[in-house]
Amino acid sequence: MDNLVKELKEEIIKVLNLEDITPEDIDETAPLFGEGLGLDSIDALELIVMLEKNYGIKLEDPAKGKEIFQSINVMADYVANNRKK
Amino acid sequence: MIGVLADNIYSPLGSTSEQNYSAVKSGATGLRTADAFGLGQPITASLFPDGQVDADFDAITADCDMTKFEKMLVISITDALSRCQVDASSPRTLFVISSTKGNVDLIDRPGFDSSLAASAEKIARHFGNPNTPVVVSNACISGVNAQIVAMRLLQSGQYDHAIVAGADAQSRFIVSGFLSFKALSPDECRPFDADRIGLNLGEAAATIIYSARPLADGWNLAAGAVRNDANHISGPSRTGEGCYRALQTITQGVDPEEIALVNVHGTATPYNDEMESIALDRAGLASRPVNALKGYFGHTMGAAGILETIMSMHSLADGTILGTRGFGSTGTTRTVNIDAANRPASGSAFIKMLSGFGGCNAAILMRHGAPTESFVSGACARATSHTVKITPDGAWVDGEPLLTTATGADLITELYRAYVKDYPKYFKMDPLSRLGFVASELLLQKCPEAEADDSRAIILANRTASLCNDLCYQATISDDNYFPSPALFVYTLPNIVTGEIAIRNKYYGETTFYVLPSVDEAQIKSLVEASMQDPATRSAIAGWLECPSADDFLAELTLYEKSTNPA
Repeated sequence: MDNLVKELKEEIIKVLNLEDITPEDIDETAPLFGEGLGLDSIDALELIVMLEKNYGIKLEDPAKGKEIFQSINVMADYVANNRKK
Repeated sequence: MIGVLADNIYSPLGSTSEQNYSAVKSGATGLRTADAFGLGQPITASLFPDGQVDADFDAITADCDMTKFEKMLVISITDALSRCQVDASSPRTLFVISSTKGNVDLIDRPGFDSSLAASAEKIARHFGNPNTPVVVSNACISGVNAQIVAMRLLQSGQYDHAIVAGADAQSRFIVSGFLSFKALSPDECRPFDADRIGLNLGEAAATIIYSARPLADGWNLAAGAVRNDANHISGPSRTGEGCYRALQTITQGVDPEEIALVNVHGTATPYNDEMESIALDRAGLASRPVNALKGYFGHTMGAAGILETIMSMHSLADGTILGTRGFGSTGTTRTVNIDAANRPASGSAFIKMLSGFGGCNAAILMRHGAPTESFVSGACARATSHTVKITPDGAWVDGEPLLTTATGADLITELYRAYVKDYPKYFKMDPLSRLGFVASELLLQKCPEAEADDSRAIILANRTASLCNDLCYQATISDDNYFPSPALFVYTLPNIVTGEIAIRNKYYGETTFYVLPSVDEAQIKSLVEASMQDPATRSAIAGWLECPSADDFLAELTLYEKSTNPA
């Protein structure tokens, strides 16, 4: 799970162009949206694409993303339980 | 105020305005559900059957060197011209073309110039017109925006007639992008309905031919405004800010009871329709009859503003408010006066409004009957000494070079780190937006503050629109690696950079992006002067912003101020 958390952090930094942020800067229990990283609705859609591309997880309902992207830890749990690749 | 001489709608529902109007009045829709563009899933859209555009085009001309998008425009313009006495080849006639994506499906065809400027010139020359056509590419508001630009250019006295034509053809590029935004409804869209879940796309071309002389017994474009939300590049403002401000501007001094109809954007996405209901309520228009036409045509993008204006003119002339196909029960927090069925209409004026990515909003007031005197505007613009130039090799502010070491794309980031620093969203922007953002920051560091939050317009132009980012997005939709990127798709509109600048500076004024064949200071100045006809506009950040690839670019921005004397 630690590896997946690290991998997710690195991938988020890459696909969302979070320049000047390192994996260590991201608190795995903190909300990804709203405060913190300052992500927005386009970032959420981009993370949905990342889940499909990297892990074969298809989310048709963007509202589902809200639950999954609560924090890195929640996201890692979801990926571990639902990944197809 | 300018007069409507003739119009045409070319859509899957018909080849003339009359055919389209009678089809819609009888309840017909162009929407069909089918597999299209090799996306592996059915979509609901209003598309021309294969071969129809070619056949319709071949029936009117032997000019063969045209794409589907260009043919749609020629078919529409030809019919509109046949209904009036306007000389399309006169130097006193101007072509104003509206499109969001033009020939985007051909951007990777070797040796093909997919620029909207090339298409517009081809079309103007087809009709023998000698002028440089003006292309408005301002996302979904383009069709209304183009009419506003035409009004201002006619009121400037330079032209007698304007042929305003808009079109978009659908493609894998566009449909995949809206799918990545989760913005498409798999079934027929439901504008303003409680169960609406998204939009349908559509293909159409539409044309209105305007005269500088208003008509005593006909439709006139009486007022228009463009305003920015200054909030987000894709999400509509939660307060309907830009839309409300545009409505407020065009209804100044107008008794709401005069307004027979407000034809809204009504895309049927949850956020758009909610935003429009708020804007209408704030503008005191909640009681006026409202309708939306996306359930008949889909969202026809660059054509929508023109097509929906024409449908509204024809329906009011027929004493009818067309029903909103797909609407069932109220699904917005502010109640609007909307109905699925056709209703009788009374009144001699209507409003057409649109909103789009980049935070832009536009509204026009159309009025039947008017004084026949032409209105001539005295609005002028003066270039100040505040300028910014950025090339791959260096940057100059007010003519003085900045000390830089990097070149190409790295230069823009070097300038960001040296002169802006605190705006991490910079790194999410596409190269065109990065260039425009940094150039505007450098310019504004030298300029006086804007007088009011809506008094500074942003007027930018280039030849290649968002080509650099279009190619990046295209790479995400190949057959063997199909993962369309919403973060790239949102930047496949050239006007997003104007939204980025508006958001950064909280500018709620006009934002417009033009596509022109080449850098032409006189033409840009004339477009800036046109923007000064807006009562709110006192200054403008304006100029050329070209970025065909990340390392090949040119920004030349100037701060203009409104003046009353030609300079």
